[in-house]
Amino acid sequence: MTRRVRITKGILWLITGLAAAVTIIRFTRGLGTVTALSDTTPWGLWVGFDVMGGVALAAGGFVIGAIAHVFHRERYHHAVRPAILTALLGYAAVAVGLVYDLGLPWHIWHPIIFWNPHSPLFEVAWCVMTYLTILFLEFLPVFLERTRFQGLYRTLLRLQLPLIILGISVSTLHQSSLGTLLLIMPFRLHPLWYTPNLPELFFVSAICLGLVMVIFESSVTAWLYEREPRTRMLSGLAGFAAGGLAFYFAFRMLDLWHRGKLGLAFAGTFEANLFWFEMGLSTIVPLLLFLIPKVRRSHTGVFIASSLGVIGFLLNRVDASGLAQVWATRTHYFPMWTEFVISLGIVSLFALIYLFIQEHFPVEKEILDEEEKWRQRQLFVLPRFERLSEVWLGNEAFASRRVYSAAFVVALVLGLTLAPWQPLVEASPVERARGGDTLRVGFPIGTVSFPHADHVKRLGKKNCGICHHLHKPGDVGTPCSECHRDMYLPTRIFHHERHVAFLGGNEACGRCHPKGEPKAATAKKCSECHQKDMMAKNEVVTKFERPTAPGLRVAAHGICIHCHKQQAKDPRWKKPDLFRCATCHRTPVPQGEAVLEASLKSEG
Amino acid sequence: MIKAPCILNDVTRCIGCEECVAACKKINGLPQEDPPPRVGHSSDGLSATRWTSIVRRPGGVSVRKQCRHCLEPACVSVCPVGALQKTPEGPVIYDKSICMGCRYCMMACPYGIPHYQWNTVNPSIRKCILCYHKLKSGEIDTPACVTACPKEATTFGSRDEMLAEARRRLKAEPKKYIQHIWGEHEVGGTSVLYISNVDLGFLAWQDPKFLGTTALPGRTWSALRKVPYEFIGMAASMTAVWWIIDRRMRLEREGGDEPPAASEGGSDGGDEQ
Repeated sequence: MTRRVRITKGILWLITGLAAAVTIIRFTRGLGTVTALSDTTPWGLWVGFDVMGGVALAAGGFVIGAIAHVFHRERYHHAVRPAILTALLGYAAVAVGLVYDLGLPWHIWHPIIFWNPHSPLFEVAWCVMTYLTILFLEFLPVFLERTRFQGLYRTLLRLQLPLIILGISVSTLHQSSLGTLLLIMPFRLHPLWYTPNLPELFFVSAICLGLVMVIFESSVTAWLYEREPRTRMLSGLAGFAAGGLAFYFAFRMLDLWHRGKLGLAFAGTFEANLFWFEMGLSTIVPLLLFLIPKVRRSHTGVFIASSLGVIGFLLNRVDASGLAQVWATRTHYFPMWTEFVISLGIVSLFALIYLFIQEHFPVEKEILDEEEKWRQRQLFVLPRFERLSEVWLGNEAFASRRVYSAAFVVALVLGLTLAPWQPLVEASPVERARGGDTLRVGFPIGTVSFPHADHVKRLGKKNCGICHHLHKPGDVGTPCSECHRDMYLPTRIFHHERHVAFLGGNEACGRCHPKGEPKAATAKKCSECHQKDMMAKNEVVTKFERPTAPGLRVAAHGICIHCHKQQAKDPRWKKPDLFRCATCHRTPVPQGEAVLEASLKSEG
Repeated sequence: MIKAPCILNDVTRCIGCEECVAACKKINGLPQEDPPPRVGHSSDGLSATRWTSIVRRPGGVSVRKQCRHCLEPACVSVCPVGALQKTPEGPVIYDKSICMGCRYCMMACPYGIPHYQWNTVNPSIRKCILCYHKLKSGEIDTPACVTACPKEATTFGSRDEMLAEARRRLKAEPKKYIQHIWGEHEVGGTSVLYISNVDLGFLAWQDPKFLGTTALPGRTWSALRKVPYEFIGMAASMTAVWWIIDRRMRLEREGGDEPPAASEGGSDGGDEQ
């Protein structure tokens, strides 16, 4: 085991430990606590990266299978077992990712008995289950090779070709069906990504990603275990990848041109930039690099080109399932750090399993032989403390395992400390003011600190009515949110539900409504009961002109700015700061949506 | 229960009193106070605890939003397990005992109707079910929101009746209304219709005008129905390629005859598949 492997494993265990902490919160507190998902963005990083990206990453299995077995390219036989292992673990990781993302993960098996063949996701679910089984059977010989089950081993080897062909066919279906998945969303997906050819595009890009992933993975393992990379095989694969990338680029451009949407790519919008960034990373740069023979033959060259390709195609999946929908939903979803931790944690866990299998089973014979030799040197000895030199003596494997455990435990504790235990809510717009404290309005986004006590001091208690302008002039304990029930939307001041509850359900209708006429227009006037509350002692508001209260944002602006404007202008004060937005708004307010903006305008 | 139940919303009559919202909450047992909204919540006021809402528009216009109960619902077609069902009568209903929680329905709905209970470990999809169970059992004749409306801005009947009524109103006061019935053809037709004096394109993620009137499920089905042929075609072509190359290589190894003509199958150009 090389030093590089040990350090890498330590880091992977660290991330796995963090993820374990977040896992606990995910399954005890719900999706809302560890994700930034919302009703406008119900799919986030876990679907885009773990599921969509994971399935595409694992495409190397069927692509290499096709090249080596179906097309009889014997040179690539070395790549088959690592590629199938990646695919097997990749699909297992997708399944694990789904367990995190599904709201009711204990129903994950439901597609087996509840069928809806009209759903692309149903098709994907079945293909993934089938393909996972096929991959397991394809890989089983590796586990059996050095055991006594030689009969089963030989049978499975004989079945290898039919299994590979079956695997290719099933992969074709679900790789393209992941594109079909998005066909139902013409309303959400930006036209640079939305095309009736999405299934075909997804299939072709999966082949490209599979190829660059095999190159990437092969060069990383070579680096980790300090082996000579199989440069000849890698440059051959790079040649295939270049062909695939060129085809993908032409396909995508022709598709845009054919649909008359090519102009959108040059519109300079966020989507256009995103499109070129994605195409540059995934296709253009790797393609140009792969076309240079010198790069194709150099280890660093193929590594850089393939890693760019991997990142670029993953970005394509993330774009299609999220970023390219922002223009429609106009909400800015950014994953919480806990989402990243889970995504990376799943990758780390399966990378550890990958390394374990590489080291204990004949996936790549050189690695296994090296490890076996190393293991024979290391007898299992309990570590002991050598007093003279003041160091712990013991075998290397045991020592590194202690480091892994420590990394895992430390990360777990760290994660449990840092992770959020409460869901991410746009909490009640207003906090109650208790005596001399500061109100926080609109927590946690667009927080405005309102120094309540300070205002009371300056204006005097008699002037509460300047701000508390409603039917409760003397009242200082009522939160603004009681009437301004929504931060942004106007709400009706009259709270029918609360009156019903207070007066005693249906029995009490007659106390306000004439019999048989449950309409608002003919009901009793507010002042008939609330005369005392509505006394017009202050000058600000004496009567209700509108039946609705403005949203809190508008209301607050109306009251505060009105006053601040005068104070700022007043030559005696000379405080222009009072009328700067940033005086109150310490953090930027999120982008308003069209409806909100419109409602604000209508409020004046 | 009547066949093809349908709601007609007349935007010009709505005063935005939210009696429908209160009635909906009551009959469905939803909490009267909405819990604090999540960051990134929808701006139309709908939430897991509010299945219908009033969207305020400039000029004092109030538009009620709720599930459209599409004639060919996208949410039903994409649900992998069939937890969302289009009932024979028309309303689209939900069965939690089947649902996996994949939230594909929320992505597929062009109007952003299904909402999710994010802050629980046992969440469901929540949306208007047109009071299906109570209508079916005969407990009520009209959905609670329609009963509650003091201005008859929202009316209930069979789809044909409602279409006829909408046309009658458009004809009777042609100056008052935009001559269009929203929901008659949008996304293949819906069971909630609107007539209005303002454009209602904002109710969907994109104005349906630009995307045609075809139902959404057809878009995925046109790809999905090819699946069996793709499977067979791929398996057959892969087997054929293998057989041809294998035969050619065997013949070469035997060193006997010339390789057969169909030897291009294994050339470098074939790496796409």
